[in-house]
Amino acid sequence: MLNYPITAFKTKTIVAFCFIFICIPVISQAQISISGVVTSGTNGATLPGANVTVKGTTNGTSTDANGYYKLKVENEQAVLVFSFLGFVTQEIMVGNRRTINVALNPDVAVLNDVVVVGYGIQEEGVLTSAITSVQGAEIQNTPVVSASGLLQGRAAGVQVSSSSGAPGSGLRIKIRGTSSISGSSDPLYIVDGVPIQTGNFGLDTGGATTSAMSFINPDDIVSITVLKDASATSIYGARAANGVVLIKTKRGADKPLQIQFGTYFGTQQAINTPDLVNGSQFEMLQNEAARNNGEPVPYPNPEQAINTDWANLIFRTGSIRNYDLSISGGNEEVQYAISGGHFNQKGITKPALFRRSAARVNLDLDATEKLSFGTSISYTHSHRNRARNNDNISGVLPGVYFYPPNLPVYQPDGTYTTFSIFENPVAGATEVDFDMNVNRFIGNVFTEYEFTPDLFGKASWSYDHMLVREKRYNNTSTVNGASVNGSALSTTAINRSWTAEVTLNYIKSIGDHNFNALIGGSMQARNFERTTAEGQQFPSDDFRYIEAAAVQTASSTGTSSGLASLFGRLQYNYDRRYLATLTVRRDASSRFGENNQWGTFPSIGLGWAISEESFFNADWISELKLRASYGITGNQGGIGDYQSLGLWIGSSYGNSPGTITDQLANPDLRWETTRQFDIGLDIGLFNERVTITYDYYSKYTTDLLLAVPVPSSTGFQTLVQNFGELSNKGMELAISAGIIQRQDLAWTATFNIAGNRNMIEKLAAPFNVYNRDPFRYKEGIPMFSFYFHKQLGVDPETGAPVFADINGDGVFDINTDRTIVGNANPDFFGGLTNTVNFNQFDLSVFLQYNYGSEQLNWNRFFQEHGGTRNTGYLSSQLDRWQEPGDVTMVPKMTRENYRAGLRPSRFVEDGSYIRLKNVTLGYSLPQELSGKLGINNARIYFTGQNLFTITNYSGLDPEVTATATNPLTKGIEFYTIPHAKTYMIGFDITF
Amino acid sequence: MKMNLKNSLLVISVASFFAISCNVLSQEPKSAVSSDHVIYNERTSQIALNGLYSQLQNGNYYGGNLLVLGDVSSDISQSVGTWDFYRAMDTYTTNVGNLEVEDFWEQAYATINQANNIIAKVPPLDNVSQETKDQILGEAYFIRALAYFDLNRAFGGVEGVYGSMGVPLVLQPTNTITENSFPSRPSINKTYAQVESDLKQAIELLSGSSTPTRASEAAAKALLSRLFLYYQQDYGLVEKYATEVITAYDYQLLEDYASIFISEETAGSIFELSFTASDQSDIRFWYFPPSLGGRADIALHQSFVNLLQSRVNDERAKLIAFDDGVGVYYPTKYQKVSGKDNVIILRLAEMYLNRAEARTRKESPDLNGALSDLNIIRNRAGLADTTGAGVDTAREILDAIALERSIEFFEEGHRWFNLVRTERAMTVLNGIDRKNSGPVSLNEAGRQVWPIPQREIDANKNIEQNEAYN
Repeated sequence: MLNYPITAFKTKTIVAFCFIFICIPVISQAQISISGVVTSGTNGATLPGANVTVKGTTNGTSTDANGYYKLKVENEQAVLVFSFLGFVTQEIMVGNRRTINVALNPDVAVLNDVVVVGYGIQEEGVLTSAITSVQGAEIQNTPVVSASGLLQGRAAGVQVSSSSGAPGSGLRIKIRGTSSISGSSDPLYIVDGVPIQTGNFGLDTGGATTSAMSFINPDDIVSITVLKDASATSIYGARAANGVVLIKTKRGADKPLQIQFGTYFGTQQAINTPDLVNGSQFEMLQNEAARNNGEPVPYPNPEQAINTDWANLIFRTGSIRNYDLSISGGNEEVQYAISGGHFNQKGITKPALFRRSAARVNLDLDATEKLSFGTSISYTHSHRNRARNNDNISGVLPGVYFYPPNLPVYQPDGTYTTFSIFENPVAGATEVDFDMNVNRFIGNVFTEYEFTPDLFGKASWSYDHMLVREKRYNNTSTVNGASVNGSALSTTAINRSWTAEVTLNYIKSIGDHNFNALIGGSMQARNFERTTAEGQQFPSDDFRYIEAAAVQTASSTGTSSGLASLFGRLQYNYDRRYLATLTVRRDASSRFGENNQWGTFPSIGLGWAISEESFFNADWISELKLRASYGITGNQGGIGDYQSLGLWIGSSYGNSPGTITDQLANPDLRWETTRQFDIGLDIGLFNERVTITYDYYSKYTTDLLLAVPVPSSTGFQTLVQNFGELSNKGMELAISAGIIQRQDLAWTATFNIAGNRNMIEKLAAPFNVYNRDPFRYKEGIPMFSFYFHKQLGVDPETGAPVFADINGDGVFDINTDRTIVGNANPDFFGGLTNTVNFNQFDLSVFLQYNYGSEQLNWNRFFQEHGGTRNTGYLSSQLDRWQEPGDVTMVPKMTRENYRAGLRPSRFVEDGSYIRLKNVTLGYSLPQELSGKLGINNARIYFTGQNLFTITNYSGLDPEVTATATNPLTKGIEFYTIPHAKTYMIGFDITF
Repeated sequence: MKMNLKNSLLVISVASFFAISCNVLSQEPKSAVSSDHVIYNERTSQIALNGLYSQLQNGNYYGGNLLVLGDVSSDISQSVGTWDFYRAMDTYTTNVGNLEVEDFWEQAYATINQANNIIAKVPPLDNVSQETKDQILGEAYFIRALAYFDLNRAFGGVEGVYGSMGVPLVLQPTNTITENSFPSRPSINKTYAQVESDLKQAIELLSGSSTPTRASEAAAKALLSRLFLYYQQDYGLVEKYATEVITAYDYQLLEDYASIFISEETAGSIFELSFTASDQSDIRFWYFPPSLGGRADIALHQSFVNLLQSRVNDERAKLIAFDDGVGVYYPTKYQKVSGKDNVIILRLAEMYLNRAEARTRKESPDLNGALSDLNIIRNRAGLADTTGAGVDTAREILDAIALERSIEFFEEGHRWFNLVRTERAMTVLNGIDRKNSGPVSLNEAGRQVWPIPQREIDANKNIEQNEAYN
């Protein structure tokens, strides 16, 4: 099996090739087995992919993702050669040692760490662009639910916010601010070369999203690279303006079989639960409002009120557990990495549940010296129990807030108490079956061919198939189900996309002139279909399939899009001192209007490695590089399929079909264009013991896709036009320092901070968005600006709220005196990670922070209603003005003080926070002990997440955004599940 | 062997790559059609006409919103729920951002644009018979007239009562935005004149009464009868058209008042919109309690309920029910589960009341004729004649007609407009009781018209706001 005959391939199919991993390679016959871990001498990080060879032989291997290697040598005189790009090669004679751990020192003269870039890899030393990479220990030692979570607080300038604390919910990632208003500001995700379809594919539950990225098993990930400036991203053309996230998963290597098993499990609890009034307080407040309004008191005996703690009935202790098994290895011809994982999370509110089972097979086959094949194939099944929440009157958490505490859960006859239009939260949590199943297959097959030693070709085909099935049944004890004898909904959505790519890469050095040229082409097509069926009037709750429903409706819909691209890149450097990268991509998209079918996206990056100059002789500065880039990228994410066309859609009248106008034509429709300038400095001190990366950038986006309000007298409200302009300017600083570097004790601190200033430069017309229009969009203010009546206080004499007279006409007017009172963008944000390795112990402490953003506590708008509603109150209502002299921000409870049109700014709160996101303490068995047990490596660890948060925000969680489905909103808590405090224990064992 | 393998793989990869490149860019919509290819023969013209009715029955227009707006801003209905925008209309505190007002404005114009498309695109077709064209165009003109009429009375007002500017007139279809897409407001009567002209076109093109779910000559005349109550106050014409509708077709007042709502397409209905379980109206949803699938956001004012309950024999007073969750009464004319009640826009009873009013108000009043019409409506409802009960003078008769209108048409969205046009709004809408607050009053004359949506003002600099909302 060792030399799998090539001729056999000719007759076998690709499918057979995919299953070649079942052939376990034969281990070469040698006498002494040596193993160990290769690490970096600067920061102790393990070095995956380092070469270990036996001097004078062809025997050799490379280290795995944990820096581990194992090989056999003939005798004790054998010399092992450890080499890795960018590090000084070390030779060590075996002698009587059987475990040889090596710390390689960086080769200061070369400094050629390799990073992943678009369509390839590149030496860090000659990079001209702004790239942040998260890899190694930062990923390996942190249990996270979602791949995107790995970036939170760890990559400068990358802002990760969660839509809610519900398991499997979406994360929103913004790289260098928001460069689109109505379009998508999600970055482009590429997993092992496959562009991944992201977005929200689930039913709307009031704004919460389900993460399309949750299909990736985080245990499979080796590195996540974030491309930020135009020099790095423009190779992705019309999809690159929001940045690009490249994810690499583990691959096999030429080394013996290695089996790795990991697990963790733990419990979760909400970091905060709603602070609501009790039954007596509720009745007392309602009475007070009635008295203040001169009306009869509704509750004569508030002391005797029923008290139902609705929150307590919904919040619970959640649990989390994860199993991960992987095998990897290979020989010279075939390398394999096969993994499977299972994740199970019971949410902190009923009935949320998230389960994921994932499998992956990554294969590499060197068919001949010049020809190789590879595959990356993953299949994931995930299951969610969902609940409506956020902006949804049938929601569970909304019910917790709206249901008055003086109502019992059940009526004497055992049925649920119902109140107004809201769902009884207990019924919403227990009587609604709402689940979502996602099956996703992503397969990539590629072949590489070496035409000459300088010229390489690669062709790759990928297929991304996602099947989303959702079912919901409201039984007859729910408000939604009762009136129609049960209602059911079933949807099936299929999203398919394929990508084909070819690239040619030419690498040549002539004297001190080093060239690396790439050209390529890419085709991508996507097809989406959704079928929905609904049923009402069920014979009983025993029937839950729509077949049994007396009233049935169904519909189906679909869209498609295509993208064709050509791209090229030339990297040149002279003597590794003067660096240049030229990139261009041309994209044609089916979404663009007929007058703008092709877009061109060029960029240039220049660098000067000052520390490489002969005149530079500051020994303590190991690297000093200045780089600058400028380029143009596009964003086609905001253009819907067929958006450029004038459309009519189907409709009906009576039982006859009809057509109605739907959309104005815009043949000029095109991508959003972002011009980005970046200037950066890379500094390495004391032999790279301290590294500093600083970037300043300025992005200006034109042709923003905006649903420009058009006069409704045309019959349409909006036309999507390339109209607006937006700017983002910011700075990023990342510092990593090996504070202590001893054999037995290593302490590394990494810190990053970034600030972004966003400004709307041009807009067709001001507009407000979201439920009760809290956001204002107009020129000259940042996105996500809150538009409120600025509340100055409460008149201590009368208890009436005092609002600023914005237009200065002497009176406060509800129509004309609204103003901008802040925005949801942080002034700066980032993270601080401290990692300490002490003998067999490892400790990492990760703090995440966000300063200067406002968070809208929209729950207060509805639960500080001052008696204008008969719904529940937040405890903050108790701070109301009661008698002359009271100084408070919460007005006297009268109808006038809480009238419907008021948007008091007291609900816009300081959203700054520092959160202890993760603390992990691990212990690895000493090699001597684990060797005796027949294992290579064993580690046990304890992790705590979200252990504390320092914030002035009065809501449950300053980190959530209830409205993740709406790109125009951010920083709203609105009946949103908060994050969980998590305690976990985990093991990792490698055989 | 190796060379063969390599070469074949290379050829396959390159060839397959370029073979598929050609068609990824030509993606056709699958659930929509291009506006260039939507009306091109008889069938597609008919289907676009169905779409025009569909626009009219949208929830933002006759599918609920306009009916709620017309009553909640009057003394018939009140907001008892959480929906601020109806509450603002109920309490006369509405502002330029009122979503429901905006939705109505937008949907009425969407209806107009659809009518404009039909009016522009059907006549040039040479594969459609003249007869069919006339039918299609006649219905389109009628619906355009109705939409302009509704817009103009809500946002323009009534000349001589309140208001001077009408709503912008757009008579050509809009497919892309051009410099002509930014109209300004003509005079109030210019807009009403367009309504008149469209209705007269419809009368030219249509004949007979047809089924009430389609626009007909009779419907056009019925709307003309209503139009002249607002426009020019030409009571002779009101009476003329009302009489034509009453006499020239086969309409009848149904014995059983409720059956006009329970049954569909009855002889008492001149124009109604067809709703089905898959194409529902919202009106029931806004009024009915949650236990019956509604939202209980809107209910009847207790004073109006008291009025109904004081009329023991009045058949019409029976069409209400009590919501013990909120403790209010709600109307039940539109009560079918899943909102499939047809919504009635014009019916014969209104023609009698229009004629009664015209006969009272015209230059040489015919009070007996007016009372006779009024009593026809009362008798049908199970009530005795008004004669001799203090209803003698023109003023008293007009009061009686107004009262009869309020009871006859509650939940149908007439009341606000009738109060405004008869100059009663400021006096009647005074100290109206509310479930959730003290009494409310319409204190500002300028609020007799609704605010032009701020969105529209922002999008079209040529549009002027109504003065109360500046």
